[in-house]
Amino acid sequence: MLEITGLCAGYGGLPVLRDVHLRVAEGEFVAIVGPNGAGKTTLFKTISGIVRPSGGQIRFDDADLLAVPPAARAHRGIAHVPEGRQVFPSLTVFENLEMGAYSAHARARWRESLDRIFAWFPVLAQRTRSLAGALSGGQQQMLAIARGLASAPRLLMLDEPSMGLAPAVADEIFERILAIHSDAGVTVLLVEQRVAEALHFADRGYVIEAGRIVLEGTPEALNSDDRVRQAYLGM
Amino acid sequence: MEFDLPLFVENLLQSLVAGLLTGALYGLMCVGLSLIFGVMRVINFAQGDFMMLGMYAAYYAFGLLGAHALLGEAADPYLAALLAGPAVFVAGVAVHRFLVSRVTGMRGAALESEGHYAQLILTLGIALVLQNGGLFVFGSAPVSISTPLSSSAWDIGPLYGDMVEIFVNQGQTYAAIIAVVVVIAFVLLMGRSRLGKSLRAAADNPEAAVYMGIDVERAHRLAFGFGCAITAIGGGLLASGSPFQPYVGLEYVIIMYAGVVLGGLGSVSGAFFGGLTIGLVQQLSTLFLPIQLQNTAIFVVFLAIVLLRPQGLFGASLRRA
Amino acid sequence: MRSPGSVRRLGFIAAFALVYALVTAFAENSYYQLILTVVPVWAVMGLAWNLFSGYSGLVSFGHAAFFGLGAYFVALAQIEWNLSPWLGIPCAGIVGGLAGLIIGLPTFRLRGHYFALAMLAYPLALLYVFEWLGYQELALPMVREHAARYMQFADHRLYAWIALALAVATMLVADRIERSRFGKSLVAIKQDEAAAEAAGIRTLEWKLRAIVLSGAVAGIAGGFYAVVLLVVTPAAVFGMLVSAQALIVTMFGGVGTLWGPVLGAVVLVPLSELLQANLGNVVPGIQGVVYGIAIIAVILLAPEGVFWKFKDILDRRRAPAAHADIVTSAGTPQTDQRPPRPEPGPTLLDVRHVSKSFGGLQAIRDVSLQVRSGEILGIIGPNGAGKTTLFNLLNGFIRPDSGSILLDGREVSGRRPYALCASGIGRTFQVVKPFRRMTVLDNVIVGAYVRARSDEEAQTLAMTALEAVGLQHAIGKLAGVLTNRELRLLELARALAGNPRILLLDETLAGLGATEVEDVTQVVRRLADRGITIVIIEHTMQAMVRLVDRFVVLDGGAVLTDGTPAEVTRDPAVVDAYLGKRWRTASA
Repeated sequence: MLEITGLCAGYGGLPVLRDVHLRVAEGEFVAIVGPNGAGKTTLFKTISGIVRPSGGQIRFDDADLLAVPPAARAHRGIAHVPEGRQVFPSLTVFENLEMGAYSAHARARWRESLDRIFAWFPVLAQRTRSLAGALSGGQQQMLAIARGLASAPRLLMLDEPSMGLAPAVADEIFERILAIHSDAGVTVLLVEQRVAEALHFADRGYVIEAGRIVLEGTPEALNSDDRVRQAYLGM
Repeated sequence: MEFDLPLFVENLLQSLVAGLLTGALYGLMCVGLSLIFGVMRVINFAQGDFMMLGMYAAYYAFGLLGAHALLGEAADPYLAALLAGPAVFVAGVAVHRFLVSRVTGMRGAALESEGHYAQLILTLGIALVLQNGGLFVFGSAPVSISTPLSSSAWDIGPLYGDMVEIFVNQGQTYAAIIAVVVVIAFVLLMGRSRLGKSLRAAADNPEAAVYMGIDVERAHRLAFGFGCAITAIGGGLLASGSPFQPYVGLEYVIIMYAGVVLGGLGSVSGAFFGGLTIGLVQQLSTLFLPIQLQNTAIFVVFLAIVLLRPQGLFGASLRRA
Repeated sequence: MRSPGSVRRLGFIAAFALVYALVTAFAENSYYQLILTVVPVWAVMGLAWNLFSGYSGLVSFGHAAFFGLGAYFVALAQIEWNLSPWLGIPCAGIVGGLAGLIIGLPTFRLRGHYFALAMLAYPLALLYVFEWLGYQELALPMVREHAARYMQFADHRLYAWIALALAVATMLVADRIERSRFGKSLVAIKQDEAAAEAAGIRTLEWKLRAIVLSGAVAGIAGGFYAVVLLVVTPAAVFGMLVSAQALIVTMFGGVGTLWGPVLGAVVLVPLSELLQANLGNVVPGIQGVVYGIAIIAVILLAPEGVFWKFKDILDRRRAPAAHADIVTSAGTPQTDQRPPRPEPGPTLLDVRHVSKSFGGLQAIRDVSLQVRSGEILGIIGPNGAGKTTLFNLLNGFIRPDSGSILLDGREVSGRRPYALCASGIGRTFQVVKPFRRMTVLDNVIVGAYVRARSDEEAQTLAMTALEAVGLQHAIGKLAGVLTNRELRLLELARALAGNPRILLLDETLAGLGATEVEDVTQVVRRLADRGITIVIIEHTMQAMVRLVDRFVVLDGGAVLTDGTPAEVTRDPAVVDAYLGKRWRTASA
């Protein structure tokens, strides 16, 4: 479904991604883990079009995604839940969800999406009229994911959903993500710093370090590989 | 000199009425600026000159309407003011498309101090071209839209045992009512419609808006156009009361920024009340100060606001995540 | 000190003055004489604007306030007290300077566009006040006898020569400032006020000096302008076009260089005057339109002005295409063996129970830690753990809500950053912000002012710092062309130039490749070997474990643990924080 080959990108001549290869099959749950500053968020931004790559290819559904303007990529079924939540703070919870369903395709399935969202995140159903900026961190993260789901996506990209959350809340979020993956069959691409949690849920994992994919494999294989530990702790 | 209480009360009430009526128009103009400055955080120094364009658009529309006597002499000035909106909208969109968009949004973020420096200077240039170009196109002689209503007034009183009598200008009253209606319609548009919500989303967080599939560039362009158009309608309504010339915009720049900052950045309805307050301050200052200094009073108030309460008086503006 | 560079610069100014004076001598037509007089006046106004806004980066839309006050002072002083403009104009400078002080003190609390708008309000307010006072049109009285004593000449070329003299004098002042601590401190403020303050620069003081000087120069320009035109009206001297013209000649010519305003005035003023004279009847307002279009074009095509655009083009042609990044560091091969480090000395910095919250969020909770003299302390922790907030507390950007910070046993929390810098706390920043238009050496000199008494001493300190980090080969390069590694070293050198005892390094290794990391790490270690205490933040532990003596681990704003690298990386709590709590169970 998503195939990335030889991707290089960076900011103002400063390379961040160096020759990244990665693929995600329909229905898979793939985790990308790596320490901070490894280039995980830049990879997502390149897929969404906010960062322009300096080389390489991204194909989505066998079409060249780089030829599609950034705002049009969401209309193709890619939902990007950004790092740090980035909900629209001055819009209500409900309006945030409406913005998630901005594409015509999503609006056609609006009622259905909304029912499912409220089933996964009942707390949002109770707070539809609150301003998103007034929610707690965990609730904002739920809203950010729900907003992504409102677009009725085929690929859900989640950037560090556990960031800045208390461990118990992060666990809750991870379990919802797993439920969404198994209930709705949405393909999930997850970026996480907490390697253990991410690999626990994923079908397959990549380890990224200093802008390069250094390891790839099943969660079991990665968990037992000493290089993961080294990537994070240095010894 | 003895203090004449009934006279003071009469002047006070008269100033209050005048303040509310002009304040409503200032409020409308502030609502336009708040969309550009308060919500999108784009600095538009030429906002007063878009208001001036609105005045002239209304002036010429009034001329055309007069020839056909569409709604009758009394209503034509207001219709003309409303027509100034779409005309200036087109101008605003064009200015944004070709000039302002180069130093705002994603492109502005890459510039020094997020492009605010470039925006200030660029819109100063636009202001100079509009003011002085206006001199050529419209001429330097002050003009005004005359309507029979602007010289007629309702007489309230006598109150307070025959000693107090207030006059309420009819033309200004209708203008104020229209201003309030436009503000309400606009607040509803921003609050309820899909377009309005997408504009707010694009202003709140442009990057996340792209992830939603919103064309942020277009959203900013429309918001800039709406902001100019709303201010232009305010100018058009003001034009039927007092004479104006191409340099008129400059004084209103300060008035508008004062109102928007007072109302709290990011709050469209707050900006209206900010503008209303500025109108009241301007008119009430005439009770204590010579009339030539009423704008000086506003500048002092503006300085006091930005120095003491830059977060505004009405409602806390939302912190951006 | 007469360096060949300064002889060349003064030569350029002298040549300009000579050519201009000669051209004036041949101008017979009184209209051309007037234009030749007005050009230097606007050059002086541009220079005044540039002295303040160009160097400090605070955009003033209100220089008409100083100009107008100067003009009205000269006119009123002659009318009321019969004071000759020869004396009145210098006094107008004092009036302008005082106005700068009075306006600057409250207005410097504002930033960015609020500052610009507030500055716009001053001349407009003054305009109405002078109208209300009844000075709609003030004519300078003609003096028949002793006309020259009242600066009234039959030969109008004399005005042009006086204007030229004023312009040359202002250029010399500007040249002097550009090379001195004054100018460099202002440029540092423009680039990054916080960083400047952290480098020991008293920002408010320099900004006040700049606006006072700038106001004085503008006041003199205004006073002279009144004499030339003989009539003063509020709109002509307090009007928007006055402020705009000062800004535009500078922006057009080039910001932050003394030739910018001069170039802008020489091109734009005659152009707009001639167009006004020839087309003014047909196209009123053409002057404003020309200025408006000029400024729009400049901001879109050459945002720093024509001068810099041409300089860049020339430099690019002159310079060879690419330059190699010469690595001058010792280049010892990387070993896992840590070199022996001396035992740390007594506690230098003592942080006791410090807490800080923003809004409802507690960023730092009850943090206590000691930094011992001579050690390399690493502060690590996941994103959002509060590392940078801790640094901001240590160098005085923010005050703690509670707790105390002791340097050498003395309470320092709540002191201003420049004061802390002076007492020996230097720091670098996550995002490197060099002064792009300045050379490497000048960049580092700015950091040395906190110690140096003279410009020469600052230069010596800067050279020593550059040698310490291995950048001595690059002193003449502009900071804008440096590689990422060189920029990091430049930052280090700038902090080092102030002779700090403690160096706070904020993600100095971020964005570097593996060999570059090794390179910069070596430099940091060398500094530590010279006895400088180092506190370094990183969120990746990779390079850190080989560099530091001791770690303090922060998580959620609190100290999780501390210890040697070996202890910390085996600590279960640290493993949890970095890898997640499922790690141990999964990999066990």
